[in-house]
Amino acid sequence: MATEPVKPAAENPYTQHYVVKKGDTLSKIAEEFYGDKMLYPKIFEANRDVLSDPNKIKPGQKLRIP
Amino acid sequence: MRKTGTILIHSIWLSLATALLVVGCANQKEPAMKMVAEAESALAGIKDDAAKLLPSDLQSVEASVAALKDDVAKGDYKAVLAGAPAVMSAINSLKEAVAARKSEVEAAMAAATAEWGSLSADVPKMVEAIQSRLDILGKAKKLPKSLSQEAFDSAKSGLDSMKSMWAEASSAFTSGDAVNAVEKAKGVKAKGEEVLKLLGMSPG
Repeated sequence: MATEPVKPAAENPYTQHYVVKKGDTLSKIAEEFYGDKMLYPKIFEANRDVLSDPNKIKPGQKLRIP
Repeated sequence: MRKTGTILIHSIWLSLATALLVVGCANQKEPAMKMVAEAESALAGIKDDAAKLLPSDLQSVEASVAALKDDVAKGDYKAVLAGAPAVMSAINSLKEAVAARKSEVEAAMAAATAEWGSLSADVPKMVEAIQSRLDILGKAKKLPKSLSQEAFDSAKSGLDSMKSMWAEASSAFTSGDAVNAVEKAKGVKAKGEEVLKLLGMSPG
């Protein structure tokens, strides 16, 4: 039985989004938005419906930045 | 003898005039009392709404009714009968003005209640998004390059203001004042826009 992706609660219209560019990592994105790359799990958890592994993000993916 | 007769005739005329005056007054008393009672009754029917919606207009009409009652107390029924139509007209005008104002207030309340529905769904999401970002930034070892410590502190105090303002707005709505609640909620939203800008959070 296939595992369905985790769906977030109703989308918050005030949540910021970021479109992944070539060469980005969650750590790099976390550093840009939070000033601390170690906070990347916050981004990963907020995007569990589209990410299954924090090390696998693709250019063009639109991520929530909580 | 002739002088006595003249005095007698004058006395009769005087008595007759007095009697006519008394009868005349008696004839005016009943309709005058009735008009005052009608004015009081008409005013009583709109007094509560008028006190809330058009207090100064009510005060003026009440003064006119009080003046009529004063004339009754003085026995000046002629003045009552002369003044009553204008007072009744003023009461009717007030009644119409109160009804019009009531409709306006009801329409404004209905519009505000609908607007509150949208704001009450929107503003908590704004608070939630800001709270989430501030919580995460609070755990960071340093702030991002794009955010100064001053801006971060302002954003935190801005969020506190939003929360207290939102509590006031919700309380106003719960107590039935939707118009005031919407005004306050719009204030929270405006504050939220400022905080989002401070944090560099552009939704979407």
